[in-house]
Amino acid sequence: MRQAGAYSGLLCGGVSGRTGPHSLPLARIKKIMKNSGEGVKMISGEAPIIFSKACDLFIEELTRRSWIMAIQGKRRTLHKEDLASAVIATDIFDFLITLVSNSDSHAVGGATNVMEVETIDYS
Amino acid sequence: MMDNVGGSSSNIAENSGIIREQDRLLPIANVGKIMKQILPPNAKISKESKETMQECVSEFISFVTSEASEKCRKERRKTVNGDDICWALGSLGFDDYAEPLRRYLQRYREQELDRANNPPKRG
Repeated sequence: MRQAGAYSGLLCGGVSGRTGPHSLPLARIKKIMKNSGEGVKMISGEAPIIFSKACDLFIEELTRRSWIMAIQGKRRTLHKEDLASAVIATDIFDFLITLVSNSDSHAVGGATNVMEVETIDYS
Repeated sequence: MMDNVGGSSSNIAENSGIIREQDRLLPIANVGKIMKQILPPNAKISKESKETMQECVSEFISFVTSEASEKCRKERRKTVNGDDICWALGSLGFDDYAEPLRRYLQRYREQELDRANNPPKRG
């Protein structure tokens, strides 16, 4: 009989379920992908799974860099200003600068700002 | 603007094309958990910073998906797959993510193959 592999938990709950210990819901990731532009036609089953892991790495990196900002401010509580500072200080997070500068917009009660995503060519 | 808290308005929202707030973001509990596990035990995380992180993650997904989708368009392919996501991450400066994710994708595919070759006996 086949023994459960080290990664067999990867697919618990199926493609629309959760994967792994710090899982993010795949169906929601897929929905966000679909809403990222008219150019997105079809999404393979593996893409949200890869994104689930990519988002883990992204959240971890931005949190770590934000924490450095909080510590520099001699605080033990992470504030949204720490995220904004980390975004401003980190090149690969350039695409978030407008977002963190206007992160109160959804609280004002107005329509959600739909930002145009610019493709940045670093080469 | 209509308050979309709760699921009862899902049909209306979906029919009219409104992107519900809860569909635009990953769940705050999942995001908060990942943030918490990367910080020291005595760190605190404000609700505002979790909300800002939710916004940042959705923007990250859209940003990378748009880049991947553009590559598919140029290559006249309709489906965004895991390789496209990994390529887009590298293209956008997230080189540190692309390599571990390629390995993750490889393990996922190997596991899919294994499942295909060894169907469950009770299935």
